[in-house]
Amino acid sequence: MSPKSHLREHMEKIFYPESVAVVGATKVPGTVPHDIIHNILKADFQGIVYPVSPKEKFIAGAKCYKYIVDIDDPIDLAIIVFPSSVADMALEQCGNKGVKSVIIISAGFREVGGKGIEKEQKILEIADKYDINFIGPNCLGVINTDPKSMLNASFARKMPEEGTIGFLSQSGALCTAVLDYAQAKHIGFSKFISFGNKADINEIDLLRYLKDDPKTKVILMYLEEVSKGRELMDVAREIIKDTGKPILAIKSGRTDEGASAAASHTGSLAGSDLVTDAAFKQAGIIRCNNIEEMFNKAIAMAYQPMPKSNNIAIITNAGGPGVLTTDAAIHEGLELAKFSDQTTAVFKKYLPKTANIKNPVDVIGDARADRYKVALSQALKDVNVDGAFVILTPQSMTDIDTIATEIVNVAEQYDKPLYASFMGEADVASGIDILQRNKIPHYSLPESMCKSFATAYKFENHKLNEIDRTELYNDVDKESARKIIDDAIKKGKKILPENEADRVLETYGIPVPERKLVTSAEEAAKVAVDIGFPVVLKIMSEDITHKFDVKGVVIDLHTEKETKDAYESIMHHVTKFRPDAKIDGILVEKMVPKGQEVILGIKRDPAFGPFIMYGLGGIFVEVFKDVSFRVAPIDKNVASEIIEETKSSKMLHGTRGIEPADVDALQNTLIRLGQLAVDCPQIKELDINPLIVLEKGKGCFVADANIML
Amino acid sequence: MSNDNVKERVKKVISEVLKMNIDEIGDDANFIFDLGADSAQSLELIAGFEEEFDIEMDEDKALEIQSVSDAADFISTYL
Repeated sequence: MSPKSHLREHMEKIFYPESVAVVGATKVPGTVPHDIIHNILKADFQGIVYPVSPKEKFIAGAKCYKYIVDIDDPIDLAIIVFPSSVADMALEQCGNKGVKSVIIISAGFREVGGKGIEKEQKILEIADKYDINFIGPNCLGVINTDPKSMLNASFARKMPEEGTIGFLSQSGALCTAVLDYAQAKHIGFSKFISFGNKADINEIDLLRYLKDDPKTKVILMYLEEVSKGRELMDVAREIIKDTGKPILAIKSGRTDEGASAAASHTGSLAGSDLVTDAAFKQAGIIRCNNIEEMFNKAIAMAYQPMPKSNNIAIITNAGGPGVLTTDAAIHEGLELAKFSDQTTAVFKKYLPKTANIKNPVDVIGDARADRYKVALSQALKDVNVDGAFVILTPQSMTDIDTIATEIVNVAEQYDKPLYASFMGEADVASGIDILQRNKIPHYSLPESMCKSFATAYKFENHKLNEIDRTELYNDVDKESARKIIDDAIKKGKKILPENEADRVLETYGIPVPERKLVTSAEEAAKVAVDIGFPVVLKIMSEDITHKFDVKGVVIDLHTEKETKDAYESIMHHVTKFRPDAKIDGILVEKMVPKGQEVILGIKRDPAFGPFIMYGLGGIFVEVFKDVSFRVAPIDKNVASEIIEETKSSKMLHGTRGIEPADVDALQNTLIRLGQLAVDCPQIKELDINPLIVLEKGKGCFVADANIML
Repeated sequence: MSNDNVKERVKKVISEVLKMNIDEIGDDANFIFDLGADSAQSLELIAGFEEEFDIEMDEDKALEIQSVSDAADFISTYL
C-alpha cells in the first residue's frame, strides 16, 4: 500500500491540477488515450496539458513529449493511459519526474486475476517508493466541474453540468450511463469519480475528500464490494455528523449470483448483503436499489431545503392524481398538513367554489398559472406546512410552461421543500424541462416524489447514528470470558462444550439457567432439590455433539426419583450408543419456564466484522426467515430497532392469548451479546437457540447455546 | 545464426511495422513505452517476426515480448 501521509495534498492536485500530462497519448480516434486528451481540451481546462507519446510530435495542436521526464515544467497530475503491460514503466517515470498525483486509467490488473494481480502489486510498490497517490487502475477517470478547474480527465462522452452532487463509482461503464441519464434531466455534479480497482485511493479517502469539498452537498456512491466496512461506517457517520451531507449508495451484489459477478468484475469479494444493509442503516447511508431511485432522492436533497417535518401540502389540478399522491404520502409516513384559518380563508377567496380547499387542494382542471401561484404561495406561507407537492395533468387550457415558471418563482421565496409531478410525457415535456433546469425536483410518479420526501425527512431527523457507548454494560467480565475461550482453543476445541458456553454467556450477564455438573445419580437428585424442580438432565461429553441422538437429554423432571432414573437412563443409552465417548458427567439444569422463543446469534463478516443476528425462534425461523441484523456493538436504540424490524415483534408486545414479553430484558441481552462479539474475536459464531423470553418483568433465559471457535 | 544477426532482423521488422527509422530502435526499446506500438501493431509485429524467420511462435508467450532483446532471445529458441 502506498503511503497516505500526503494524501490530501495529492488528491487536491488530482481535482485541481495546474498542469496535466497524459502519458501514452495517441492520435488514433476512438481510442481511450485519444478521447481523454480531447475531453480535457474540450472541457475548457484551466491548466496546461502535456501529451506524452513515444511516436507523435503533436496531438490536437499540443506539442508531444516522448517521456514525461522530458517535460521541463512541473506536472501536478499524470494520467496514465498506456496498456497495463507498461503502466509500471510510466509510473516509475512519473516518480522520477516528481509527480505525486496520478490517475491510472489502464485495465488489465487485479480484475483479470493471475499476472494482473502481480502488475497491481508492482504499481503499488512504485507508488510507495515515490510517495505517489493514484486513482484506479481500471477506471473511467475523474471530472471536476468547478469553474476553477473544469477538468474532464475521463473518457466519458460528455462533461456534465456543474452541480452539487459528488458521485463515486467503482464501475466505470456505469458512470457513462449515469452521465447520460443526468444530462437528460439537467442533473449537475460537483465531482465525478470513477475509482476502479481502488488499489490506492479508495472510496473512504474519496468520501473524506468530498466531506470537505465546499462544492459538494450530496454524495452518491456505487460500490461493488466493501473491503473496509468499519472504516466506511465511521467516515459516513463523521460526514453526516460534521457536515449534514447525505450519502446515498447503491451496493450491487444483492443476490449470490450478483455478488459472484461483482467479484469477477472488480476482482473483489462481495460481503454478505444483509449485513451491508444493516451496516449502511446504522451508519446513516441511504441504500438505493437502482440509479433512478438514487437520483430521485439525491435531487430532493441537493436542490431543495430539507423538510423540517412530515407535514405536506398537495396542490393538484386533478382529483385522481391528488388521491394517488395522498395514498403514497400516507404510505411513506407523511402527513397532510391541516391548513390554518388564514390559509383556508385565502383559498376560499381566490379559488373557485368547486375547488377543494382542504388538503389535497384541488385547484380544478381549468386552473392556470395564477391559481397555482395563489394556492402554492399560501400553502408554503402556512406555518403548519413544511413542504409542498405540485401535481399537474395537461388539460386543454393548462398553461404548462407558465405554471412551471411560476413554481420556480414561488420556490425561491420560501425556505421549504417544493417538489413537482407533471404527469404525462409529450405535452408536459417542456414544463418538466423548465423545472429541471431550475432545480425543482420533478418526478414522473407521485410515489417516487413521496418516497424521496420521506427519505429526506427521515435523514434530516435521524442524523445521529452513533452508538451511545454509555449504554454499554461495565459489569461484563471480559478477562474471564477470554480465559474460558483461550483454554478451550489451547486444547484444540472448535466448539465450546455447553457448560463452558453457558459460563461465557454468564460472564457477560446473559441469563442462563442455574445448573451444575454431576457424576452420580444421588448427586443429581441432591442438586435438583437445591436448584428447584423442574429440572433438565443433559449428557456432557466433548465427543457427543447431538445429545438427543444418543438419548442424552431428559426434560421436565419433577422429583428426586425421576431425576435419579433419568440419570441412569442417560448413562445407559449413551454408553450403549457411544461406548467410545469420554463422558465428563451430566448437567443438571433448572428447566426454563415456557415463554416466547427467539434466536440470537453472533457472526463475522469479512468487511464489517462481528454482527448480531436476531429472529423469531422455534421451527418458524427456517420457514419465515424473519431475522434482522446489526453490526456490533449496539445500544438500546439499535436493540429496539433490530427487534421491531422483524414481523414477529408484534407477538412480543402481546397479542390474542399471548401476554406481552419482557422486551427490556431481551434488549439488554442483545446489547450484552454485541459487547461479547466485539470483545472476543476468537468466537467465530455463536447461536442462542432458543432464548426464552418470559412475561414482562420476568426476564429471559438461554435454553441452548453453541459457541464455535 | 548469431543473436546480433537476429536482433538486426527484429529491428528491420519493427521499423517496417511501426514505420520508423531503424537507427531509432535501441536494443532495450520497449515496443509500447518507447516505440509507441498500439495493440494492433503488437500483433502485426508478431506476424512480422514469424514471416521474417519462417517460424510459428506460441502466441501467448509471444505477446509477452516487450523489447528488441526479448524478441531476439525468444525467436532464437525457434531457430
